[in-house]
Amino acid sequence: MKRLPKSLPTDEVEINVSPLIDMVFILLIFFIVATSFINETGLTSKYRDTAKNSLSDQPPLSFQLPSSGQLMQNGSVVGLEEIAPIVRNAKGKSKSLILIQVSPGSKAGLATQVMDQAILGGAEAVKLSPLAK
Amino acid sequence: MRLYGRARAYEENEVGAINVSPLIDVVFILLIFFIVSATFVSLPGIEVSRPKTQTAESLEKNSILFALSQENRIFHAGEEIGLKQIPSLIELASKDRKKPVVIQSDEWADAALLAKVILEARRKAPSVSIATRKPK
Repeated sequence: MKRLPKSLPTDEVEINVSPLIDMVFILLIFFIVATSFINETGLTSKYRDTAKNSLSDQPPLSFQLPSSGQLMQNGSVVGLEEIAPIVRNAKGKSKSLILIQVSPGSKAGLATQVMDQAILGGAEAVKLSPLAK
Repeated sequence: MRLYGRARAYEENEVGAINVSPLIDVVFILLIFFIVSATFVSLPGIEVSRPKTQTAESLEKNSILFALSQENRIFHAGEEIGLKQIPSLIELASKDRKKPVVIQSDEWADAALLAKVILEARRKAPSVSIATRKPK
């Protein structure tokens, strides 16, 4: 018969939780460092490339941004605050897609504000299309 | 006197042992909170001044970010990239899950380049948004 050594504790065995706590703390610090709380706000241009309505129907309502920094529609200069009423008064299908034709040299801030005003006027989709010089 | 004796006996059993169970509970709750809220978005690495718009709405948090600087340079995950690299980078970053793309464009960047970046991104991403800020 095998004898138990006398030094073995006879009372109940306690699990050492210190390594567990160490590990959990390391995981916690890793996730705190790796988490990045970004909260962006912005505009989404919800157009579909498959929707081909340009040939048979009337062409989409379009605005031009030449490199001079102006904003034009059909060759005449319009102001930023006029866009929302123009879009709102546009009939039927031309409202579904607003085209913004941007030339190299025009500023992204202005293009974004035109998109914003068009969405404010009730446009369903806004497309930025680059014009080759 | 009996009560005193009992309390004393209890104290003698656990000499100076701090009860760590509440600490572990709190740490576990914090850990679970950070695991759940972790999204691992790689930031573009530059700060741009976003255009002000009125209709801005909150965008998806777990999206792929690109930045367009004032000097018309494109950044992604801390590195400058070219226009033609955008579709392959989106494919690499989304890993079969269709992640939306957010473009942080500077107010004074070239609008034609922004339009080209959007066109390139749309080839792979389900939706492309432009990051803006609300006017104060």
